[in-house]
Amino acid sequence: MNRLHIEIKNTTLANGLKAVIAPDSAAPVVTVGVYYKIGFRLEPRGRSGFAHLFEHMMFQGSANAPKMQHIKLINSSGGMLNGSTSYDVTNYYEAVPSNALERVLWLEADRMRALKVDDENLKNQRDVVKEEVRVNVMNQPYGGFPWLDMPPVAFRNWANAHNFYGDFADLDAADLSDVQAFFKTYYVPNNAVLLILGDVKADEGIALAKKYFEDIPRGPAPQFADPTEPLQTEERRGQVEEKFGTLPAMAIGYVMPERRTADWCAMALLDQALHGGRAGRLYRELVLEKQIAVEADGGIDDLFGYNGPTQMTTRILHKPEYSSEATLAAFDGVVREVQEHGIGTDELEQLKVKWRSDYYATLEGGRGGSMPKYGLMHLLACFALFDNEPQLVNTILDGFLAVKREEIQAVAKKYLRNEKRAIVFRVPVKAGAKEAA
Amino acid sequence: MATRTVEVATDVPALAAERAVTWPKRRKAVLSNGLEVILAESHSIPKFHGELFFRSGNAAFTDRAPALAEMTATVVRTGTGKRMSRQIEEDLRRIGADLASGAGADTSALSFAGLSEFAEPLLAMVNELARDAAFPESEFERERRQKQEEVKLQRTEPGFLASERLRKVLFGAHPYSQIAPTEEQVASYRREELRALYHESYTPENALLLLVGDFDPDDMLKSAEKVFSDWKGGRPGAKSFPAPLVPRGRRVYLVHVPGAVQTQILAGCHAITRKHQDWVKLGLTNSLYGGAFNSRLVMNIREDKGYTYSPRSGVTALRQHGYFSVSAAVRNNVVAASLTEIFYEIDKLRALPVPPGELADAQNYLSGIFSMGLATQDGLLSQLSTVALNELPDDYLETYRAKVRALTPEDLLHTARKYLDSANMQIVVVGDRAQIESQAALFGELEVYDAQGKQLE
Repeated sequence: MNRLHIEIKNTTLANGLKAVIAPDSAAPVVTVGVYYKIGFRLEPRGRSGFAHLFEHMMFQGSANAPKMQHIKLINSSGGMLNGSTSYDVTNYYEAVPSNALERVLWLEADRMRALKVDDENLKNQRDVVKEEVRVNVMNQPYGGFPWLDMPPVAFRNWANAHNFYGDFADLDAADLSDVQAFFKTYYVPNNAVLLILGDVKADEGIALAKKYFEDIPRGPAPQFADPTEPLQTEERRGQVEEKFGTLPAMAIGYVMPERRTADWCAMALLDQALHGGRAGRLYRELVLEKQIAVEADGGIDDLFGYNGPTQMTTRILHKPEYSSEATLAAFDGVVREVQEHGIGTDELEQLKVKWRSDYYATLEGGRGGSMPKYGLMHLLACFALFDNEPQLVNTILDGFLAVKREEIQAVAKKYLRNEKRAIVFRVPVKAGAKEAA
Repeated sequence: MATRTVEVATDVPALAAERAVTWPKRRKAVLSNGLEVILAESHSIPKFHGELFFRSGNAAFTDRAPALAEMTATVVRTGTGKRMSRQIEEDLRRIGADLASGAGADTSALSFAGLSEFAEPLLAMVNELARDAAFPESEFERERRQKQEEVKLQRTEPGFLASERLRKVLFGAHPYSQIAPTEEQVASYRREELRALYHESYTPENALLLLVGDFDPDDMLKSAEKVFSDWKGGRPGAKSFPAPLVPRGRRVYLVHVPGAVQTQILAGCHAITRKHQDWVKLGLTNSLYGGAFNSRLVMNIREDKGYTYSPRSGVTALRQHGYFSVSAAVRNNVVAASLTEIFYEIDKLRALPVPPGELADAQNYLSGIFSMGLATQDGLLSQLSTVALNELPDDYLETYRAKVRALTPEDLLHTARKYLDSANMQIVVVGDRAQIESQAALFGELEVYDAQGKQLE
């Protein structure tokens, strides 16, 4: 077995900013990321969608780089940039020819130090975000299904249950004081990690991190709301109207164990057994063999990157001639099979090889095919912020490759229980759908 | 942008000296059976990526049925003389591999990636699918039904409806006008048609095998020869089609989606293929217009006016023809305002030379992005396939950046005038008729269709 080893050097600067360098001079390209430990889960109450709106504001101007300059300076250096907001982190990242490294670090440091935005910027980005929600959710068949539909059904704590893209009324209510308060609270160096990957030497990377970031003042340690969920004791169901699509759909989510426990590793392989493409048990049974469903996919969303309650979620679009209950019964049959008989020795070996192969692809991985080392950046950031141990990227694989058959059967029994799940039915309003659950 | 002063950044660190961009050596070979192979090393992870292309896609068979090559590719992976569907999927997983089969307008392809330690079994699987697909009756029936649901679903996606209409408008009777079949057309696919297409086009002389990754090229080439060399088959006759009529004058095509809360705009005109000598010039012009985050269109209708999240322009290069297009999903009440800005920015590029600073920025952008392909195996594979399938010169990768950097404001002005054909752009808007018809009608004679493609009064 040819194991991949990533060279890593990491440190914590005097102001609390973590820095992780992963040198690799194969191509004259460097990827820079800054991750802040705040996502949409713990955004302020009454301000749904704010963490994401705020992410947009980070491109609207900082002390020495006014609006549009950030984008212009990266693009005109031959690079690409973007940001994204997820449950527990928000990231900003660039991939540039390595001669632009210092410029990128200067820009990221400038906006970590001071955001400089006005009402007009906020109004502009509020409009842009609304069109983003329309293009991705409101004007698309099955838009937001199930990632926006599931939380209010599955969870009781507002942190986990609210609309992460944001209710438009909440977006409208957000003002500049919210922007500056959020920035001051969460965008402090001691709540972030800087990553420099690719064409840079390890010592040079550390020195540059210090040069550009170390004089940014540390802030008070952010206080986070408690995302804990009350114990779930019965199955939860909900229903959402599908405006455009004609196929009935459902999503079934089971609460996951805490990350980095032994159960977590076994669940990851169980996820692969159930959702691993055309070889996965659900696709094979529901789509290929029983031919009830047209699509059956899903799994654990961001296995390494969640830091609070989450689910393993299956998403099914099925043929209208099958009822929701018949479809669910077929799904339950697949789950019961694993609970009663576990998985085969040969199957487990296949799963492990595929898991390793997928893991390497993640590390190299582009985002949209063009962002080198995005996956490596994401894993290093999550391991740094949540575990204070970026080196995990080289050892975490061992836990997955050591999982035993009995453990997979055990977690199937322990976690895939009806009283631990939630189901959302997405019901077409158009002809072609016969019934609702 | 017109309405606000652009401030500049202060104290920005200068760029350091550029490190040379060195593309890996390509190893080209023709196997004893006529199969062309191109290999390149990339050691970022202990895996490799490959693609087995056949130079026949949907366009070559539109006279038989639309998207027949795509359907054929779908069924190819569902069974061979040796392995049933389930066995194929499990054997792929056993060696940690991913495989996809599909077809575009001009090619069919088996795309794959896997661990280097299992290179030979993966090549063997690809070989088996390429020459010994069995088209089992039950698998065909299932995939056909799947495809029917898929094409029904497509008709509820604004982006698909816009592309479909634009291609019809630009390409008329040419096969490129069809990007998807109807439900009825899928229902009338026959298994024998798929088999016939497969035997005609899945041949070594019609194929190109690209391999990129963590391997020794000598060893990999030996494996390829061992696995593929006793596969035989000639190149099918080339098909040609009369050139499409270029639509003259702006016209507007409204695809009515009742209840749409946003409008998808897509406007386009005929342009050029990748082999054309003006390709690099048009690429740079597009990048300035709407091909980058920092482009004029994005700065205008997103960052200044907030009409849209996702404005974009691009040049789609098919083998025989290419077209330029611009798209944006906008609020319903700013459809006319958005189109006005879309044309304003085109006309400005056609009227005024690009300022030298802006040109330099765009040149840096395009040459920098081009080199990102070096950093990942699939990025490199995609660059190599572009060169090979479009029959570009061997030194295309090495000389591209210099060509971009040699362009002048006059080159761009001429290119915009020639290919950003403002007066003859065809405009598609997908949205709720009641909310957008009067706005759309301001830009040309209007035709209205429903999502099924039926023209409405």
